[in-house]
Amino acid sequence: MAVRAQFENSNEVGVFSRLTNSYAIVAVGGSENFYSVFESELQDIIPICHATIAGTRIVGRLTVGNKNGLLVPTTTTDQELQHLRNTLPDSVKIQRIEERLSALGNVICCNDHVAIVHPDLERETEEIIADVLGVEVFRQTVADNVLTGSYMSLSNQGGIVHPKTSVRDQDELSSLLQVPLVAGSVNRGSAVVGAGMVVNDWLAITGLDTTATELSVIESVFRLGEMAPGGAGAGVHKESIVESFY
Amino acid sequence: MKTTWKDIAPVPTNQEFLDIVLSRTQRQLPTQIRAGFRIARIRGFYTRKVKFTQETFCDKFQAILDGFPRLQDIHPFHKDLMNTLYDADHFRIALGQVSTAKHLIEQVSRDYVRLIKYAQSLFQCKQLKRAALGRMATICRRLKDPLVYLEQVRQHLGRLPSIDPNTRTLLICGYPNVGKSSFLRSITRADVDVQPYAFTTKSLFVGHFDYKYLRFQAIDTPGILDHPLEEMNTIEMQSITAVAHLRSAILYFMDLSEQCGYSVADQIKLFHSIKPLFANKIVYIVVNKIDVRRPEDLDPEQRKELQDILDSGDVEMLEASCTTTEGVTAVKNAACDKLLAERVAQKLKSGTNASGTPGGRLGDVLARIHVAKPMGGAQRETFIPEAVKELKKYDKNDPNRRKLERDLEEENGGAGVYSFDMQRDYTLGNEEWNHDKIPEVWNGKNIYDFVDPDIESKLAALEEEEEKLEADGYYDSDESIEDAEDADVRMKADLIREKRVLMRNEAKMRKSLKNRAQIPRSAKSKKLSEMNRALDSAGYDVDAAGDRARSQSQVRGRALTRDEPNDDDMDLDDPKQSIARAKSRARSVAATDRRNDGVVSDAARDKAERMFKLGQKKMNRMARQGEADRHTTASLPKHLFSGKRGMGKTQRR
Repeated sequence: MAVRAQFENSNEVGVFSRLTNSYAIVAVGGSENFYSVFESELQDIIPICHATIAGTRIVGRLTVGNKNGLLVPTTTTDQELQHLRNTLPDSVKIQRIEERLSALGNVICCNDHVAIVHPDLERETEEIIADVLGVEVFRQTVADNVLTGSYMSLSNQGGIVHPKTSVRDQDELSSLLQVPLVAGSVNRGSAVVGAGMVVNDWLAITGLDTTATELSVIESVFRLGEMAPGGAGAGVHKESIVESFY
Repeated sequence: MKTTWKDIAPVPTNQEFLDIVLSRTQRQLPTQIRAGFRIARIRGFYTRKVKFTQETFCDKFQAILDGFPRLQDIHPFHKDLMNTLYDADHFRIALGQVSTAKHLIEQVSRDYVRLIKYAQSLFQCKQLKRAALGRMATICRRLKDPLVYLEQVRQHLGRLPSIDPNTRTLLICGYPNVGKSSFLRSITRADVDVQPYAFTTKSLFVGHFDYKYLRFQAIDTPGILDHPLEEMNTIEMQSITAVAHLRSAILYFMDLSEQCGYSVADQIKLFHSIKPLFANKIVYIVVNKIDVRRPEDLDPEQRKELQDILDSGDVEMLEASCTTTEGVTAVKNAACDKLLAERVAQKLKSGTNASGTPGGRLGDVLARIHVAKPMGGAQRETFIPEAVKELKKYDKNDPNRRKLERDLEEENGGAGVYSFDMQRDYTLGNEEWNHDKIPEVWNGKNIYDFVDPDIESKLAALEEEEEKLEADGYYDSDESIEDAEDADVRMKADLIREKRVLMRNEAKMRKSLKNRAQIPRSAKSKKLSEMNRALDSAGYDVDAAGDRARSQSQVRGRALTRDEPNDDDMDLDDPKQSIARAKSRARSVAATDRRNDGVVSDAARDKAERMFKLGQKKMNRMARQGEADRHTTASLPKHLFSGKRGMGKTQRR
């Protein structure tokens, strides 16, 4: 299932929310419309948490998490941490990290098994990620870009990377992550796929500008909705595409 | 690339042409002229007429020349097709004649304009104009045949189908009446005439269809008979042109039932004779009308001949029946697949660089459609809660829908008024605790620091570990040990640094004023002897200056005289004294040598002259009479800027 949504006229839903398999965090906005998009898809399945981080609404960029845990930057206040702790289930570990690169959502991209992180992240942070999120950590770049969290969107079933990623890089990342990957875009050609959408194993929420083609790529690579597992879409008509676009 | 020429403007016949041009001249130029006008005006009037007529002719001819395609600029297929249909030589000559006519008319116009310049009367001018227009009309009239021909070409060209020589093309060819048009009808929506006699199709027909999201064009060609190329008529030549030039998959149709009126042997023979045209193309033999006769039913001799063609390897046989539509789609798909595969292979080859990786735009396209699949290994489990599968899809119009935060917001005053309950969803174990007030700071301590009940014991354990580490010397750095060589170097460096500081201080002491004030040079006392020496070297009288200086200096001790007459005394009005002073004044002397007076040496004089010239420089440059000349000339001299002028009015001045 893939849904289009907008946060206060912004298509960058990945900036204002964080979606995992065991909880969702949504920024506090002027109205409840954005929150209700999550509610209508996730109510009574996983907890959805209204939250701010360090008093800001860019919760998706500042935090990173998966089924097992949640990492928040050092700027998070005690009250915000308390609120998150009270709302999220006890099985989710929450940890505040002292890290210079405080926009954790931009520098870390993870699913429930693997995390791809910014090469300049501190060693302690790397260990905390491995402990709290229960993942293997790899220092990697996506299309020569160090902001892995911004340029990659990942679930346990697939991933989308920056549209300019070379075939070789895609293969390399795919063998690292052990999930199928495609180079794609969201929000009518935006390359920041990490910030333009949020995804877990059964739901993707993308910006309102996302085209039908982009949505179908997303649904097929993340195997959402009716897309049969294994039918990763493109490649079937490779010939037609090469013929008409080159 | 241009594939169709539907927009060529109609070509008028020579008579229409003439009418258009002459009436245009009549309508668009003035017609009133009198013999009493100035001759220059009359000449101008007729020159304009001639020139205008010529321009109109030339514009029209140029439009015709530009409208038709130039054979050397178009695709070889279209070029050959036009050659077949219209005869390239004829076409070129027709356009050439138009072009020549244009040049001739320009020539005529030039000549007559020149003559009109010398005409002396209205009558002469008019006769010259008539002659000019008459000659132009004659030139135009001679174009009768080319214009008619070009109009016919235009009409035919506009009705040619739009064939793109570079796109994906299926080309259907074969003997007349073997079912080529029926096949085109069955795979595309082209409305081709199908009749049970030969040469129903007399020109190329194009139909389009979609396969694998791509648009293909299928071209139906007229039937070909098996005779040498020179004997072929226009209709057959169109087929040959298409087969020769289009980059396509060729479907050679055969009718084994011989209902078409040609034997199988003939059809095989034709295949062999046009085979040279199939080089580098995908060729299929399509056996049509299999509802009547299949290849299996052939007698062994013919079957062997057919087999010989297929055995060469680059030709495949397909079977279809347009009446029962059996195999039609299979033929189409097989041909399209192979064509597509070949085109893609060619594109991949041309877009791949030397190192074997597709680069540039092809690389971009391939990167976008590539699905990177893991090589195997770990299977990533997913975590999808069971509740997801049972979740009913949210419907906004359902009255029993789940209540969302948005609904609550609407009920409680809308966005900006409603404030959501942050603590509603707390999972504290008891719903009643959710809204408990929890202080942030209690007794001066941050509550959050004590959230963990075991915090004290954990801290104690950490401190204990730290002490232990410290005791074990974990933090003692082992970097203090350095070898003797290092120490030696360090010691020497220190010595050098110290010595350098000492030297610097010493130098400073030598130079300094030793705690005395700094006195400007002009304020310092000078000895009289020093002054004398300096003056002497400058060439002044030393004695006078010395006396003066001595007289200025105050004598220490008691004054020797009581009242020594002194120049510095106050003047008193004493007549005697004033006479004495007048007498004492030096008399004016005759002109002295001002050039050399006061100049001690030649060098000094040179210098003085240089200084003098320098002082004069500005004055000379500004054309001043002397230093005091401050005259400013008028910037706008009246006598130059006023008075009568040739053009304009008095007020304008």
